[in-house]
Amino acid sequence: MLENALEHLVRGIVDNPDDVTVDLVTNRRGRTLEVRVNPDDLGKVIGRNGRTAKALRTVVAALGGRGVRVDVVDTDEVR
Amino acid sequence: MTDSDTDTATGTASTADLLVREGDIAGDYLERLLDIADVDGDIDMDVEGDRAIVAIVGEGLDALVGPNGATLDALQELTRLAVVQQTGVRSRLMLDIGGWRAKRKADLTEVGNRAAARCLESGEAISLAPMTPFERKIVHDAIAAIDGVESESEGVEPERRVVVLPVGND
Repeated sequence: MLENALEHLVRGIVDNPDDVTVDLVTNRRGRTLEVRVNPDDLGKVIGRNGRTAKALRTVVAALGGRGVRVDVVDTDEVR
Repeated sequence: MTDSDTDTATGTASTADLLVREGDIAGDYLERLLDIADVDGDIDMDVEGDRAIVAIVGEGLDALVGPNGATLDALQELTRLAVVQQTGVRSRLMLDIGGWRAKRKADLTEVGNRAAARCLESGEAISLAPMTPFERKIVHDAIAAIDGVESESEGVEPERRVVVLPVGND
């Protein structure tokens, strides 16, 4: 549910909604929701001073994701 | 798009249309979220002055309001972005959830009324707790409606606060 909710929230605020994916990853550090968007939309998802990313984290926590990390993955960095 | 420069009547009509459209976009965005999260709630849409108002109404919405309305503010922020994404125009849309903003407004009006009463009784300035600009506006409005007192804001955000003063005694 959390992945779908976060995916919906992100899709609504970007230019390329079809490029949005959210994966729930569990590892030693706990659970992380990894958000991937079109590189052109990275700024929109992070927002000025990380304001939008913070809002996304706040809503995810409220929907039962307390303790779940939300990472916006910069796919440009992957080589 | 070709005839955007027509008369003011058309401009007013299109502003109203835009606000209705803002409400529709916001309503769709939030309704889908409630569906996914399996939260019960109805969406009300309204236009108040020059802003669209969207309210999620129902019981058990406390989690979506959050401590001090923090989750509500986050959802309002995201909803405005979703609106701007489709309209291309900056949005001042206001979101309320479970009547929280309406109740907060009533509470702050009461805070203003009490401070005014204390100020009138003592003849001294009353300094209130720090508030957001939105909250201060509500308190100022409450005090403006009472004879014999006036109010101003002092300090620097986020410590800016309303001060209630007796009229003609500064």
